[in-house]
Amino acid sequence: MSDLDFSPEDFSDTARAVMEACATAADLPARIALLAEAGLTGILAPEDDGGMGLALDYAVPVLREAGAGFLAAPLLETMLLARAFAGQDVAAEIAGGKTLATIAWVGEISGQGGVVGRAPLGAEVASVLVFRTDGTAVLVTLGDGAEAQADDSLDLERPEATITVKDVNGPTLDATQVKALLHAAQILRSALILGASEDALKRAADYAQERVQFGKPLSAYQAVQHHLARQCLAVETIRNSIARSLSAHCETPVAAARATFVGSCDLGAFVAENAIQVHGGMGFTWDVPLHRHLRFARTLAAQGKAAELKEDVMQQLLSGQDKEKEPAHG
Amino acid sequence: MTQTSALAVAPSETRSVGPQARAWLDANLPDALREDMLQDNKPTVADLCDWEARLHKAGLVGSTWPEAYGGRGLGLRAHLDISREIGRTPMPESVNSIGKELAGPIIMAVGREDQKLDYLPAILEMRDIWCQGFSEPNAGSDLAGLRTKAEKTADGWVVNGQKIWTSGASKSSRCLLLARTGSVEDRHRGLVLFALRTDTPGVDIREIQSIDGERSFCEVFFNNVVIPEEDMLGSPDEGWAAATRVLSIERATNRMHRSWRFENQLNHLVSACAANPATRKLVEVDYARQLADVSVNIDLLKGHVETLVGSLIDGNEIGPRGSLPKLFWSEAHQNFATLALEIVSRFPPDMSDPLRAVRRRMEDIYMKARAETIYAGTTEIQLGIIAKRILKLNQGK
Ligand SMILES: Cc1cc2nc3c(=O)[nH]c(=O)nc-3n(C[C@H](O)[C@H](O)[C@H](O)COP(=O)(O)OP(=O)(O)OC[C@H]3O[C@@H](n4cnc5c(N)ncnc54)[C@H](O)[C@@H]3O)c2cc1C
Repeated sequence: MSDLDFSPEDFSDTARAVMEACATAADLPARIALLAEAGLTGILAPEDDGGMGLALDYAVPVLREAGAGFLAAPLLETMLLARAFAGQDVAAEIAGGKTLATIAWVGEISGQGGVVGRAPLGAEVASVLVFRTDGTAVLVTLGDGAEAQADDSLDLERPEATITVKDVNGPTLDATQVKALLHAAQILRSALILGASEDALKRAADYAQERVQFGKPLSAYQAVQHHLARQCLAVETIRNSIARSLSAHCETPVAAARATFVGSCDLGAFVAENAIQVHGGMGFTWDVPLHRHLRFARTLAAQGKAAELKEDVMQQLLSGQDKEKEPAHG
Repeated sequence: MTQTSALAVAPSETRSVGPQARAWLDANLPDALREDMLQDNKPTVADLCDWEARLHKAGLVGSTWPEAYGGRGLGLRAHLDISREIGRTPMPESVNSIGKELAGPIIMAVGREDQKLDYLPAILEMRDIWCQGFSEPNAGSDLAGLRTKAEKTADGWVVNGQKIWTSGASKSSRCLLLARTGSVEDRHRGLVLFALRTDTPGVDIREIQSIDGERSFCEVFFNNVVIPEEDMLGSPDEGWAAATRVLSIERATNRMHRSWRFENQLNHLVSACAANPATRKLVEVDYARQLADVSVNIDLLKGHVETLVGSLIDGNEIGPRGSLPKLFWSEAHQNFATLALEIVSRFPPDMSDPLRAVRRRMEDIYMKARAETIYAGTTEIQLGIIAKRILKLNQGK
């Protein structure tokens, strides 16, 4: 990738403009069309499938902007599906924005079918990737042996759906491909949280410098400065951990990606919660969008099973095995 | 070991020197220095100097210093690779980290060639142990308020005043001394740095007992101490710039091994508890989730360290960003120490030696960790740096 004459950061301006356009687009198909037109849905898909064939680090600034800009589309899922199905017809359809697709992140179906959940925007797409108990996954088509039911959802931008599968058919991913997808998802979710956290911090810092109490801006008070400094530390911790996970020099990519995601969930929620605190009563209003970032971070934690992953971390610690020895994938 | 150097071939920047460092450390660390074993006696300063001189001979210390000054001339990436292995090894902290990680880099930055040739190899060979004479009774966080005075005379400089919290001063032979040439009102102007010999007449060093029971730091008094001109570092007005550089190094790259040492401490605690039926439940059930959080924090800390190293290799300055790893590490490590103390407090009275060893180590870490949010700039000072210099918040003045 070193022969490319552009860097991941070169995507952020484009991505920001697209996210702004998406914010006023009519519906999900319109948003996906905008994203596809800019090439962002297929950023990770091979060029043969109509994508850009770029490495994971190029998706990071794009998803960071998506997180900051409250993007109401399953972009992370779309990027990953277009990459995972490389070489199958469906990859080009997803990369090109022709087939709207998402992933049901929680639960597994057996050979006969079953119920899975936490599919962001599952009620508004055509296809959903569902995981199977044997470690593989299948992309089912809604209305053809599978139904989506909108669920209660903390996340407002990407409401989740439950998927009931009766007839299991569609293109499949093998267990290795599924593992690679889950690994990449950990880093990319962290990128979404990074963007949401950056925006929450920026809003809090701006507000603290505008709002005057006791004759001074809030930012003149050390207690408020320290709140903001801790939020800054949290944001930079997420950023640096993502960078480490993607670095060629990282000794333990599996543990690093997992820790990046688990840590980002806690840190991202911390930033949003503290940004609300710095806003006072204003922070508790529906119109100030900080709660949207908080809802998003908490929902991403559930979709990525952050709580369960802590058990994996402990198992790995107890195994006495070095983190380096964890098999790499993806 | 017939071969003394761990780094047999000068490694290219792309191949990790880690495995060679690992092999050397495994073969050479004496049991008497192992922090994960029960020790009857503390190692003496002489034992530690001997060990550290061997580390240098093996190429594991001073890797980034030019060969002319006793180093290996390798890059920061090699230093990171070696630091990881040093961290993974339960060995004592250096008694000369001030020399190796603060004085050395400063001398390289502002020293004259003859000073470099004189001071630098002596640091790596452990012929000189350095201390850092910055803080004073009335100048801690507000370092620019220091009063120790240096006056230029025909014989050199005459210094009067007092330093405090000077780590390792009673064991040191040289002091990186920050003093002022003008008046206190000059604040950060007119500050001068010296490489003072601590056996100079008029230097009086008194140990202070610290909460971990050690006599690790000292008060140092200067009564008409004459320092020859050739022991001044940089120009008389360069002290503050050099000092802030020292502090930014201290925060960012000093003890690069600490994430991996932290991990070694966690692994020691977990493996010792898991190996014993009387304590297994503590780590497998009772504290499993909190221990997982510690492990995640260690990875996040590595994210700061490794990304910072990458950024330095790309030629970027550290600046205020050095506050990020310092703040993150000190608080994460303190939280770990508190958790570890609670876990070892539940060990049975008839505990085995391995459990006693881990309990002793964790108790010591807990007490020592109280200092981690104080030295090298307190937590409140780091938060202030982030607010002012990274976020650039309106101070309302
Ligand atoms: C174990 C140990 C080893 C040390 N080794 C050395 C050494 O080798 N050489 C050396 O020169 N120094 C050394 N120090 C000194 C260390 O750098 C100082 O202790 C530190 O800078 C704090 O200064 P102080 O102790 O005077 O505390 P103070 O500056 O008086 O601070 C006391 C408290 O007030 C807070 N505070 C201070 N100013 C502000 C502010 N503006 N806003 C908000 N809160 C504030 C601090 O955060 C702290 O909690 C060492 C300290 C320790 C504990």
